Amino acid sequence: MPATTCPVHTTEMWLDDILRSGRLKHPKSRRIAEEIRQLVDDIAWGRGGPDHLPAVESLGGELVDEGPDDAGVEIGNFIRSAVDDHREVFKSHIETHNCATGDCVKLAPAPCQMACPAGIDVPTYVTLIGHGQDAEAIEVIRKDNPFPWVCGLVCTRPCEFMCVRGRIDTPVSIKFLKAFAAERAFSDRRYENPVRQPDKNRRVGIIGAGPAGMTAAYYLALMGYRVRVIEALPMAGGMMMVGIPRYRLPREVIDREVAMIEALGVEFVFNSRFGVDVTLEQLKKEGFEAFFIAIGAHSSFKLGVPGENDFPEVIDAIELLKNVALGERHMPGKKVVVIGGGNVAIDVARTCIRLGCEEVTIAYRRTRAEMPADEEEVEQAEEEDVKLSFLTVPVEIVGEGGRVTALKCLRAELIARKGSTRKSPVPVEGSDFFMDADAVIPAIGQAVDNGCMQELSGLEWTRRKTIHVGMASMETSLEGVFAAGDAVLGPATVIEAIGGGKKAANSIDRYLSGIPQPKMPPVPVRRGRIDWIEVPASTKMVLKRPEMPLLNIDRRRTTFQQAELGYSENMVREEARRCLRCDICRRCGDCVAVCRDKMGINALQLGYLNFDHPVKTDFRLTEERCIACGACAESCTNGAMRIEDREGERILSLCGIILNRQKLVCCEGCGAVLGPAKYLDYIRKKTGTVAQVSGGHALCEVCSRKKVAVFDSSKPPGG
Amino acid sequence: MIFRKGQRVEVYRKSDDEGWEGYMDQYVGSHGIITDPDMTINDPDALVEVSLDELGTHRFPQDCLRPLKD
Repeated sequence: MPATTCPVHTTEMWLDDILRSGRLKHPKSRRIAEEIRQLVDDIAWGRGGPDHLPAVESLGGELVDEGPDDAGVEIGNFIRSAVDDHREVFKSHIETHNCATGDCVKLAPAPCQMACPAGIDVPTYVTLIGHGQDAEAIEVIRKDNPFPWVCGLVCTRPCEFMCVRGRIDTPVSIKFLKAFAAERAFSDRRYENPVRQPDKNRRVGIIGAGPAGMTAAYYLALMGYRVRVIEALPMAGGMMMVGIPRYRLPREVIDREVAMIEALGVEFVFNSRFGVDVTLEQLKKEGFEAFFIAIGAHSSFKLGVPGENDFPEVIDAIELLKNVALGERHMPGKKVVVIGGGNVAIDVARTCIRLGCEEVTIAYRRTRAEMPADEEEVEQAEEEDVKLSFLTVPVEIVGEGGRVTALKCLRAELIARKGSTRKSPVPVEGSDFFMDADAVIPAIGQAVDNGCMQELSGLEWTRRKTIHVGMASMETSLEGVFAAGDAVLGPATVIEAIGGGKKAANSIDRYLSGIPQPKMPPVPVRRGRIDWIEVPASTKMVLKRPEMPLLNIDRRRTTFQQAELGYSENMVREEARRCLRCDICRRCGDCVAVCRDKMGINALQLGYLNFDHPVKTDFRLTEERCIACGACAESCTNGAMRIEDREGERILSLCGIILNRQKLVCCEGCGAVLGPAKYLDYIRKKTGTVAQVSGGHALCEVCSRKKVAVFDSSKPPGG
Repeated sequence: MIFRKGQRVEVYRKSDDEGWEGYMDQYVGSHGIITDPDMTINDPDALVEVSLDELGTHRFPQDCLRPLKD
């Protein structure tokens, strides 16, 4: 992902070296080189404006054209080629405050942003939500993801796994904050589309109106392309609409966000099967120049056990979810066994409960610890009376009179096979038993239904039966044809599909503009560096991630109403204050080291700085030991640790966390600020003579000298 | 499924799998967290989603990953 070195940083280092080397003898060359170095430093630290790059180029040109010495000309040529070769990188530093490599530390994205497959600038929008600026937060999110509300309800939230706050207690509840902000922005009628670029009069065809397809449509439409989305289903949403039950993701949420995409002029053609109702050739004849395939993974894996194809009550999980989503509300059976341990299995089981099934059991061949489904989803399923049967391997579906009566299973035990650490479920011989069932629903995974792709004979497929693409550009083996989402990854996540769609949109734009494709995936772009929220250390430690309020259990068992009711406004604003602002603190640990090793104080207990082995963190302890010397703030290269005198106090803060607040002592002679008492004690211990001179009085250096110098006529000379 | 959600892992070597692309070479030695394990049929060949510390989220073949001790 990140390039190994940043050209802006490299340029600055090179200029530093040449300035230090003394090779620049002529004052004019030296002056211009120093000016260029300052401008490049501004760019590297996010201070660059629109005039910086032209100024760098102009000064470089001046050295080349009028350089009074060879070294000056050399610098001019170096600068010219650095800017020419890496103009986009310099511009991204200036315009988006983004350094892909992290070399320019102030501009590197936070771990949560890096973790997000769509690259959303999490710290910026979480802080905006903390400030109550929900619509502004949504604006930031939609720069990278056109579905903030959908993701606020169903995202698998890789960002929270990487959330540094999780190393202290629990991750910030990023997902639910996003849902709140989106709902509020819609409610306030402040959920708005950005301005579309002028029409390019060029057409792009998108196959599939799922999250990947619609994301690509959104960004391409914003770029000024004319986009048509072809969808086999009668509505937009893809797996979000027909694979995720309504109690997790209400249809209105999808419809509202799709409407925003439609408002950009994207044309949707529903009930139209690619390869049957419309072909690639037809689209090309109509003037479409590039294509994006996002057909998802809608076919289910088979169990491969006897009886699977013999009974109508053996129901495909995806088919069941789709039918229910499209309005069918028939109970598949009274006693249902769902086979699998992923989110789809849980969704099916909870759907069956809502359809009125009397007994719903999930049969999973491993243990709870290995279940890939979301823990909260599993817990909620259990609350709704879904039974879980672990270490259960289905071996046959049995029935009578053409109807399912039971699922024959074997008990399993997890055993590591020879030469492998991987534990596999091994059936225990003679342990067979029957689970009563009148419907069996295998939910063991999905595959790409490639039937509609027969026309594209040159399209390469992987051995996993997914479309083969280069992950940096999402280009397929066919020129002008791109693909992303489940069709490429196999059954994956909504946010990965969104990330893939965005990447593909950029690649399609490059393709149609004749720009070569990138060799590496893009790095998330920082959308700002907004001010942090000030929070006392004790509050920062005490604030806890709120529990999500849930619909009452009776309604959850009987209706498809949204189960998670959402955070209250107060919960949201408080939760946003737990964010550590890792877009500003880079967790280099320099502050801890200088306090412990140089000052010998060791006041910073920031165990979360270590990724692999985080130890205890307690922001409150700083106040006990800190002398407010400011060495930590001085050593912080990114402005995260700050020390300032405010209203008679010296305040030490880390990204807004008030670590220490000490009353300032002023000079008794002139009133100048001397520092906090603890700091003065520390200095006195280190410089005993000064303490003697001041005689226990709080005096500044000037007043101390004056006091010593005062002539005392009552004392005899030498006395 | 060898990996579970939330597990800390290391990309300890390159993979010969077709899911491994050239740019991934730089991730060898990186540590991360499994964010979406094999969701299909507990297939050791499935790609799993890993969030690498400071290096983004990627799908990797399982044979290049090993769990880290907590």
